[in-house]
Amino acid sequence: MDRVVIKTADVDKIVPTAEGELTILDAIDLEINAGEAIAIVGASGSGKTTLLGILAGLDLPTSGTVVLGGAELTALNEEERAIVRGQQVGFVFQTFQLLGSLTALENVMLPGELRGEASAADDARELLTKVGLGARMGHYPRQLSGGEQQRVAIARAFASRPKVLFADEPTGNLDTVTGAKVIDLLFDLNAEFETTLVLVTHDDRIAARCQRIVEIDAGRIIS
Amino acid sequence: MNLSFVLRLAWRDWRGGELGLLVIALMVAVGTVTAVSLFVDRLHQALIDESSDFLAADRYIGSGQAIPDDFRNAALARGLDISDTMLFPSMVFVGDDKNQLVSVKAVDGGYPLRGTLKTADVPFTPGSPTTDLPAAGEVWLDSRLFPALGVSLGDTIEVGFAALRVGRVLTQEPDRGGSMYDLGPRLLMRMADVPATQVVQPGSRISYRLLLRGEDSQLEALKDELPLEPNFWWRGIRESSPSIGSALDRAESFLLLGGLLGVLLAGVAVALSAHRYARRHYDHVGILKTLGATPNQILIGYLMLLFAIGTVAVSLGLIIGGLLHLAIVAILQSLIPMALPMPSARPWLLGAATGFICSLAFALPPLIHLRNISPMRVIRRDIGAAPPSQIISYGAAAAGSLGLLIWYSGSLRLTAYTLIGTLGVMLLFGVLATLLLRGGRVIGMQAGSGWRLALAGLQRRRRENTAQIMIFGLAIMLLLILFLLRTSLLDEWRNQVPESAPNHFILNISPADVASIDSMIAGVSDQKGGLYPMIRGRVIEANGVAAEEWEKRVRPQGGDGPRLRSGRNLTWAADPPEDNRIVDGEWWSADETRALVSLEDDYARDLGLSVGDTLTFDIAGEIVEVEISNLRHLDWESMRPNFFIIFSPSVLEDFPATYMTSFFLEPDKKQFLNDLLAKHPTITVIEVDAIIAQLRSIIARVSQAVELILSLVVASGCLVLIASIQASRDARMSEHALIRALGGTRKLIAGSLAAEFAVLGLFAGIVAVVGAEVTVAILQSQVFELKMNAHPWLWLVGPFGGAGLILLVGMLGTRSLISSPPIIVLRGLN
Ligand SMILES: Nc1ncnc2c1ncn2[C@@H]1O[C@H](COP(=O)(O)OP(=O)(O)OP(=O)(O)O)[C@@H](O)[C@H]1O
Ligand SMILES: [Mg+2]
Repeated sequence: MDRVVIKTADVDKIVPTAEGELTILDAIDLEINAGEAIAIVGASGSGKTTLLGILAGLDLPTSGTVVLGGAELTALNEEERAIVRGQQVGFVFQTFQLLGSLTALENVMLPGELRGEASAADDARELLTKVGLGARMGHYPRQLSGGEQQRVAIARAFASRPKVLFADEPTGNLDTVTGAKVIDLLFDLNAEFETTLVLVTHDDRIAARCQRIVEIDAGRIIS
Repeated sequence: MNLSFVLRLAWRDWRGGELGLLVIALMVAVGTVTAVSLFVDRLHQALIDESSDFLAADRYIGSGQAIPDDFRNAALARGLDISDTMLFPSMVFVGDDKNQLVSVKAVDGGYPLRGTLKTADVPFTPGSPTTDLPAAGEVWLDSRLFPALGVSLGDTIEVGFAALRVGRVLTQEPDRGGSMYDLGPRLLMRMADVPATQVVQPGSRISYRLLLRGEDSQLEALKDELPLEPNFWWRGIRESSPSIGSALDRAESFLLLGGLLGVLLAGVAVALSAHRYARRHYDHVGILKTLGATPNQILIGYLMLLFAIGTVAVSLGLIIGGLLHLAIVAILQSLIPMALPMPSARPWLLGAATGFICSLAFALPPLIHLRNISPMRVIRRDIGAAPPSQIISYGAAAAGSLGLLIWYSGSLRLTAYTLIGTLGVMLLFGVLATLLLRGGRVIGMQAGSGWRLALAGLQRRRRENTAQIMIFGLAIMLLLILFLLRTSLLDEWRNQVPESAPNHFILNISPADVASIDSMIAGVSDQKGGLYPMIRGRVIEANGVAAEEWEKRVRPQGGDGPRLRSGRNLTWAADPPEDNRIVDGEWWSADETRALVSLEDDYARDLGLSVGDTLTFDIAGEIVEVEISNLRHLDWESMRPNFFIIFSPSVLEDFPATYMTSFFLEPDKKQFLNDLLAKHPTITVIEVDAIIAQLRSIIARVSQAVELILSLVVASGCLVLIASIQASRDARMSEHALIRALGGTRKLIAGSLAAEFAVLGLFAGIVAVVGAEVTVAILQSQVFELKMNAHPWLWLVGPFGGAGLILLVGMLGTRSLISSPPIIVLRGLN
C-alpha cells in the first residue's frame, strides 16, 4: 500500500457570488501519510471546512487534483466518488448528523447495511459497547445528550472501517470536559484501527495531540 | 441497496412518523376514488336500470308498421330478451248504450322486461305488484274505465269484434305515457286476442314496439346491425324521455366531475406529503451519501420504497374504499330505496391505478430529486437543496392528472375544461396571492403584536405561503364549484317539474265549451295553464319556393329534422308565452296589424329560415302569407304547451279554432276526467301525470346521489387542507420554537398562529371565489347547459368561510406545536 493516502496538487476553490468570484481555497498542495493524525487549524472563514469537504470527495475543487487512497477523486463522477467514500472514508461532524428516525444501533449499522454486510448489527453492537453506549443502543438521538450523540457518530464513522477519518470540529458543540472525552475516544479508536485522521479544530490543545498541524489563512496553507 | 434494507429503512421511517402522511394521503386517494367510483358505478347502473323501467325495457324498436321477424331473430341471436307490444286507440262497448274511447295496449309473454305492473281488485286503490299478465280472453282496465263503462270485475266488454272479460284493475304500468298515440284510459290485453278484435286493418293507427333487454354491448351491436332507417326507430331512455335523459346526463357529468375533483384533490395531498417527506430527507440522503451511498443507490432505494408503500397504501386503500362504500350504501338504503346491482371490476382497477399513478405522478418527482442532494449538505446546510425541478414536478403532475382524468371521466371535453380551468385558475391564484400578501404587509404595520408576528411570518415565508394559499384556494374552489353546480342542477330540476305543474292537457275545446270547461276545472283545481287557440295548418311555400323544393334545398341529403310540409298545430297570441325567450327579431305589439309569425329557433334553424323570410300557409283551405318577425327559444323539457309556430292575432282571429288548456289534477281526483269527458265528449284529454311522477322520482334519486358525492369530495378536500398544513408545520415549528425560546408566550404564539391561518384562509377564500365563479360559469354554459348566474353571497361566504375553515383545521393540526414545552420542540428540530 502507498504510504501517501491523500495528495492534492494545486487545488483551488472559487465560487461565484453576487459581488463577483470569491476564492475560498488558493493553490493547496498537501500530502497526508497513512496512519498520520493531522490537524487543520485557522481562523473562522479561512476555508477549513471547504478543504475537508474536497479532501473527502464530498465536493469538487474548481481546479487541481485530489487523490485519495489511490483513487483520483477529481477524475471520478459522483457515483464513483460515493463508492470511494463508502470504502475508504469515515466522518465525524460538528453537528453529529445522526438520523433522527433511527436508533443509536441502527445509525451505526447503516454503513454495514449499505454495503450489504450480514454482520452489520453485530459489528455495530461491538462498536457501541466500545464507545461506552452498550446500554443505550435502542435509544433515539433525541433521547441522547450531545456527547452521547457524538460518541454514536464516532462509532458509526469507524463502522465503515475507513482508511481515513475526517472530523470537522467534532467537539465544537460540546463542553470542554465532554469534548476531551470524545477526543480521547477518537484518538484511541484511531490508534486501534490504524486510521488516518484529518481533524479540523479551533482548539490548540486538541491540535497539539496530532503529529502535524496545517494552518490555513484566507484559503492558503501558511504552515 | 437491496429490498430488505429499503424495507427496513421504510419501516424505520414509518415508525418515526415520517411516512405516515404520505401513506395516509395515498390511502385516502385510493380509498376515496374506490368508494366514489364503486358507489357511482352501482348507482349509475341502478339509475339506468330504474329508468329502463320507464321503457319497460332497456331499449325498444318502435314503428308504425309491424316489426319484421328478422329483427326478432337478430335480437334473439344476440342473446337478448324480447317482447312485443302494440298500442292503438279503440272504442269499447258495454251493452248498447255505454261506450268509451280507450288506449289499448296488447302485450306478449315476458312483458314488462323492466319494471312491474300493479293491479288491484277495487278501482282507485293503489294496487300491488304482479308478475301476471291478462289471461287469454281477459282484459285489465284503468280505474277510470269502471265508472265510465259501468262495469265491475268479471263483466264482459267488447273490443272490436271480440268479447273479453274484465279481469283486474290496472293501477300502474312502467311504460305509461310518452306517446301521442297513447290517449285515453288504458286497456291491457293479450296479443293473442288482437286478431279476434279485427281492429287491425290496413291504415289503422297502430304503434308497434319490440321491447329489448340485455347486455349494453349486444344492444348497441344490434342497433348497428339492423336496417332501421327510415321506418323503425331505436329508442333508449334518452331518446324516449328527453327530460329523464338530460337529468341522467347531467347527473352523470356531475358525478364524474365530483369524482375527478376528488382524484385531483387526493393527488394534491399526495404531492404535498411527498414533498414534505422528501424535504425532511435531504439530510438523510446527505448522510447516506457521506457513508458511501451512490446516487443510483439512492434513486433505486427510494423507488423501491415508493413502490413498497404504494403497494401497502393501495391494498389498504382498496379495503377502506370497499368498506366505506358499503357504509355509504348501508346509510343510503333508507334514502335510496332501490336494489343496487353488484359493482363491476372497474372501480377496483380505477382505485388501484389511481394509487400507482398518484405515486408516480405526484410523489415520484420530489423523491427522484433526492438523488441529486449533495453530500456537502452535511457540513454546509445551505447547499445541495436546490428545489426539485419545477418542470419535472409540474410536468409529471399534469401528465398524471391528465391520464387519470381521461381514464376516469372517459371524456376528453370534461378533462380539457377541468385542466384548462385548473391551470388558468392556478395562474390567477399565484398573482392574486402575491398581491394579497403584499397588501397584508402594509396593513400589518399598524397591527397589534400577535397580528404583526403573523403577518411578518406570512411575509417571511412568502413563497411557501403563496403556494399554500393556492392549494387552500384550489381546495375551497373545487368545493365551491361542486356546491354551486349542485345547487343550480337541483334548482333546474325542481323548476322543470314544479310541485303543481299542469299534468293534464285538454285539446279540441270548441269555443262554445270554453266557459263551461273552465268552470268545471276551477271546481277541482286551482292550477290552470293558459288558454291557447289552436288550428291545423301547413306550410306550402317558403319565400315563394314550394315547401318540398325548399326542404330539398336546405337538406339535400334528406335526414333528420322537422318537415316543413307537415300539418302542424298553429296558435296565435298577443303576448309571448311565459318561459319563451326571444332570441332574434322582436315580438309584435298588441295592436299589430301586419301578418307576422314567430318560430321556435331550432325549428327555424333546421329549415334554414330566419327573421324577414316569408312563409305561405294553407289553413283550412285558405292561403295566408306571413313574415317571420322573431325566433323564440323554448324549453322542451318543461311540461307546458309548446308551439313551433305562433301567429300575430290579426292573422288567425277570424278562423274557426278550437282551444287547448292545461291544469293540475291531484291523483285521487282522477274520476273528474270521466265527468269532464261525459259532459264534453268531443274534447281530448292528455294525461301526463304518470310521466311527471316518473320524472320526479328519478330526479329525487339523482339529487340524492349528487349530494352524496359532494360530501365525499368535501372529505378529500379536508384531507388536502390537513396535508398542506402538515407540510408547512416544520417551517412554522422551527420559527415558533425560536420565538418561544426567546420568550414568546404560549398565548402570543397561539394568537399569531391563529392570525396566520385566518389570513391564509381569508386570502384563499377570496382567490377561491374568483376561481369558482369563472369555472362554474364555464361549466354551466359548456357542459351542463344551464343558465349562468352570479352568486353575490359567495363573496362573503367564501373568504370568511375559508378563514374559519383553515383556522379550524390549522389550529387542530398545530395544537401540539403550542402545547408542548419548547425544549421538545427544539429537540424535535434535528
Ligand atoms: N458555496 C459558497 N458560496 C459562497 N461562499 C462560500 C461558499 N462556501 C464557502 N463560502 C465562504 O468561504 C469561506 C470559507 O468557508 P469555510 O466554511 O470553509 O470556513 P471555515 O474555515 O470552515 O470557517 P469556520 O471555522 O467558521 O467553520 C467563508 O467565508 C464562507 O462564507
Ligand atoms: Mg467550518
